[in-house]
Order: sequence, then C-alpha cells, then structure tokens
Amino acid sequence: MPSKLAPLSVPYRVAVSLSRFAWLLVVGTVSAGRGRLPLLAGLFGLALLATLAYQVAYVRRFEYELTDDTVDVESGVLSRRSREVPYHRIQNVDVSRNVVQRGLGIAELAIETAGGGQTEVTLRYLDADTASELRTSLSRRKRGERGADDRSEESGTAERSRESLFSITTRELLVLGVVGLDLRLLSFIAVALPVVLPSVSGATPLFDLFRVAPLLLAGLAGVALAVSMGQAVVSYYGFRLSRVSDELSYRRGLGREYSGTIPLDKVQSVVLTENVLARRLGYASVSIETAGYAPSGDAGGSQSAVPLADRENAYRLAREVESFGTPSFERPPKRARTRYAIRYGLGVLFLTGVATAVVRVADLAVPVPAATLLAALVLVPVAAHLRWKNLGYAVGDDHFVARAGFWSRRTQVVPFYRIQTLAQQATVFQRRRDLATIAADTAGGHGWTTPRAVDIDAETATTLRETLDTRLQRALRDRRGDRNGRDERDDSKAGTSRDEQATRDERAGG
Amino acid sequence: MTADTADESRQTLDGDVRIGWLVRALVGSLLLAGIAGAVGYAADRVILLPAAVTFVVAAVLATGHTLARYRVWWYIVGTDSLRLSRGVVTHVQTVVPYVRVQHVDVSRGPLERALGLSSVVVYTAGSRGADVTIPGLPTDRADRLQQRLEQLAIAAEGEDAV
Repeated sequence: MPSKLAPLSVPYRVAVSLSRFAWLLVVGTVSAGRGRLPLLAGLFGLALLATLAYQVAYVRRFEYELTDDTVDVESGVLSRRSREVPYHRIQNVDVSRNVVQRGLGIAELAIETAGGGQTEVTLRYLDADTASELRTSLSRRKRGERGADDRSEESGTAERSRESLFSITTRELLVLGVVGLDLRLLSFIAVALPVVLPSVSGATPLFDLFRVAPLLLAGLAGVALAVSMGQAVVSYYGFRLSRVSDELSYRRGLGREYSGTIPLDKVQSVVLTENVLARRLGYASVSIETAGYAPSGDAGGSQSAVPLADRENAYRLAREVESFGTPSFERPPKRARTRYAIRYGLGVLFLTGVATAVVRVADLAVPVPAATLLAALVLVPVAAHLRWKNLGYAVGDDHFVARAGFWSRRTQVVPFYRIQTLAQQATVFQRRRDLATIAADTAGGHGWTTPRAVDIDAETATTLRETLDTRLQRALRDRRGDRNGRDERDDSKAGTSRDEQATRDERAGG
Repeated sequence: MTADTADESRQTLDGDVRIGWLVRALVGSLLLAGIAGAVGYAADRVILLPAAVTFVVAAVLATGHTLARYRVWWYIVGTDSLRLSRGVVTHVQTVVPYVRVQHVDVSRGPLERALGLSSVVVYTAGSRGADVTIPGLPTDRADRLQQRLEQLAIAAEGEDAV
C-alpha cells in the first residue's frame, strides 16, 4: 500500500518556497513607496495562496511504496513522474533534520544510487519516526530479507544487533576545530599581509599598519579558530558511528541533525586524512567513498565516517571497513625528489619574475625589492623533501594503498575489487628521469583525488600495473565464485535472475 | 593485423586518421597565425612576417606531433581487459577491464565521416577518465569492435559494474 508524506510538511514547504522570494518582497517594499503597499500586500497574498495550493497538491499527490524488489515513488502535480529504484542498487540512505524540522517533528530522507549526478529519491518531508523506520526497513530489504515485517523478530536479531564503533568526545570535537583550520589560508595571510600592508599604509598614513599587523594577524587567527571550532561543534556534535550487520550507521549535528547508513558492500574506498596539525597531535579522520552522491557529506560521493579520532582509533575504524592490515609504504626513488626541487625552484623564480615585473610596471612603493622573494629558494629543498617523504604506495593482500600530501596527507585504501580502470602515465619530464605514475580509478570520489602511485620507477610502475590488473581479475573471480556458492546454498535469497531483472528495469527507467 | 579477433596482438589505428589529425592541427596553426598577425599589427604594423613564422613553426610541430602520435597509438583487445597506449608528450597506458564497461558507443564527427572513419568510445563508472576513446577506425572495423567489446562486457558478467 502506498504511503504519503507527513501533513506537517505542507506548512514547512510553503515557508521554504516563500523564503526564496523574500528578497523580492524586501526589494518591492523598499522601491514601491507608501502608496503601493496595499497592492504589494495583495500580490503577496496571492503568491501565498498559490504556493499553498501547489504544496498541498504536491504533498497529496506524492506517494511512495516499498515493493518486493524496488522503492516506487510517484510524484509531481502537473507532470507526473514515477520512479523505481531496486533495493540492491541503493548506495546510501540519509536522514536529516534542521532545527525547524525538529520542532515540527519532520525529517528529510534521501536515497542515493550510483547513477546520475544527484540524489535519486528525496522524500520531503516525512514524520521523524516514519523516516527512521523507513530507513531501517530499507536496509533490511536491501539485505534481502524480503517481506520481513518491521516487527518480526525471527530473522536473526543477533545479526541485526547494533555494535557501537565510535562516538566523539568533547575534546576531539574541539581538537577538530583546531585541526580543521585551513592552514594554507593562514599561512597565505601571514605571507600576504607584510607584502600588502606597506602599500596600504602608504596610502592611508592614519596609523602605522606595520605595527598593527601582528595584532591584526593574531586577531584574524583567533577569529578563524573560533569559527572553525564553532563549525566543528555544530556539524559534528554528538557524532556516533555504529555497525548494524553489514552497514555503518552514523548520527551527527547540533542544529541540523544528520543520520544515515553506509552499506559496507558499496564502499569504494576508505580515505584517512591527516593534516600537518593533526599529524603533530596524533589525530586522523576517516572518510568513506561510495559511488552515491551525498549532499550531506563533505563532498560528492564522500562521507565523513569519523571526523576525528586519535590515530590508533582512526586506523582501527578504517580497518573495520576495509581490513588492509599494516601497509608498508614504498617511497618513490630519490630522483623524484630532485624533480620536485627543480619544479619548486622554477616556481619561485617565476613568481619572483612576475612580482618584479608588476612592481616595475605598476610603480609600487615596496619596502624591500621584489627580488627578496628569491630567499624562498632556501625552502625549496625542504618542500621537495617533505613532498617526497609523504608520498608512497603499498600493495596489500586485498588492497592498493596510496598516500600523498604534506599539508593534508591522504591515505587512500582501495580494494582491488573496486578498481575501475588503471592508467600508467609518464610526462616528458617523468620519462627523462625514468619515472611514471600509476592511477587506479574507482567509481567513488571525484576525478582529482584518484588514488595514485606518483613518480615511481618506470619499470616498477609497469610491474605494479600488471600486478593490480591480475589482482583485480582474481578478486573478481573470487567474488563470482563466492556469489555462485551462496546462491546455490540459499536460493530463496536474491536470485541472480531477479537481480538482472531489476537492473534492466532501472536502465529502462533511467 | 586486420582482424579484431586476434587476441593479445597490438592493433594500430587506420593510417588515414593522420589526415584528420593533421587537418585539425593545421586549422589550429592558422588560428594561431591569425592571432600572431593581429598582435604583430598592433605592435609594429606588420602582419605577414609574424603570421608566417608562427604558421610554419606551429605546422612543423603539429606534423611531427601527429606522426609521433600515430606511431605511439595502439590497443589490445585482451582476454580480460582492453589495453590502450597513447600520448606523445604525456605517455598514457590504460587498462579497462571488461567487467567495468558500462556501454560502448561508436561516434563519427564530420571530419571523420569525410575520411570514412569512426571512433569507439568505451564508458566505465569511474570518476576520472570514465570514458576511453579509440579514434580513427574504419567504420566496419569500429562497428565490429563495438560489438566485440559489448559481447566481452556481457561475458565478463558486468552485474556489479560499480
């Protein structure tokens, strides 16, 4: 039997769509003058009525239903759309509620699949209880417990039991604020301020900005820190991660509350991120990439599984998702480091050249000649070494692990089974030094964060590419064998033919 | 080397693809020459010299690049995956396992049509380089390759392509 949205979503939806036009109202009131106010009020009333009528119709005509194999959604006021999403294609399910929605007792539920650039199904809005019930029954059906009634307890309570993995402490929350500070921004300000300020103070000699600069910098840093901490508290307050059979389930947020599930069998890769500060303090964060598009996550397709935990804990949790053991990282050969030194050196020279030209052309009054930028050459070997030191890759039993980045070091763990394509690249400069880069593309994340073994020896690269290819094929065969075995043992569960049928439906529907 | 059935053997593109690439490169060179001419006119009231020099330099480079590009390009329809090698400045070798193939297109641009060539585009669910193009195949060979890749993708049981 099809279900409906919560009746209380009507007023909320009306308020949301009216607030989109609020600026029109403000502009209108300001520009119209006194005499036209009644007309304006009338227009506003009309708009309110129209919106109300539309939203009532929308909510009344919106229907969803959980069938045996699919979630069906019928929606639309004038043009109707019906959509069927097979359970086994669902990547993640997210529920979120902001402060107002919590007051009204409603919640938004979003279902993500791998296809397309946006959320496949959004239910705006459901009763809060209905939403969480729906989420549980979706995960249950996804596991193949078809037709299992919400209340029936017979199908393995032990399996469904909730195992708490992680909950954030206040200390970690505050450290998250500190660590979450964008260091690059701060260092940029620190560099830019002494360069910019003199010319400004030359133009407005009201007070000596040169002397105020350190204070200003400290103030800016303080504000940035406070904002960052506030942000961390608001979005990750009460973060809890638990495991329910083969799904991770999380809950977080102070103002806007998010909760959702990440199915473990849809995980594309696990990413451990440690920036400079976090490394110093011994913390790391874990995010999980699925092929779904997750607007509630930090970025498309990536979900913060653990915002911040001490390194041990973070690795333990990451291993819970993908058991990659202790990878022994292989660094690029030393000649790669020379390459970075040359690259950075050229960068400094180029910047100095540009700065000199700008000073010459614009006739700026600078306290020191632009050529002082050449002093940065001293940092070049250090920077090259740091980049080289943080690069690495490892080939585990079931995983390819790639690591890169000094400011923010990302360690990406990709199961062989999830590799989509392999690419071996060598630019002219790389070939000069007999180096190459291997990129293992997955369906998760975004293009520029592809796990890569950067600047490794060309021969090693070829071997690595072949190894990864063989391991992928072996993993595929293993999976296939596994699945066939399972199907034979228990053919009451999702049969292959039924799966294929559902896939076809989705493609035809898409 | 003409048949697509021979496994594990390097397939090269049709030689005519060089004509297409060259035409495109020469049009680009002309465009550059135009810009150089305009700059020359604005700076020194001379058009012909900078334009001609730019055109010759660009055309020579482009021709060299095109020839090298053709020589470098090959692909192998292997047992488990499609492998390609291409790129002069940046050399790229790509492995596309058949299991990951979502669908295969054959596309023909106007220039390609004039030369009787087609491109085969293989799509995967990957986030980067999600589509791989094999240009410069005679139309019947492209159609055969498309069918072959589709069969291989189905045979590889692409049920869990993500």
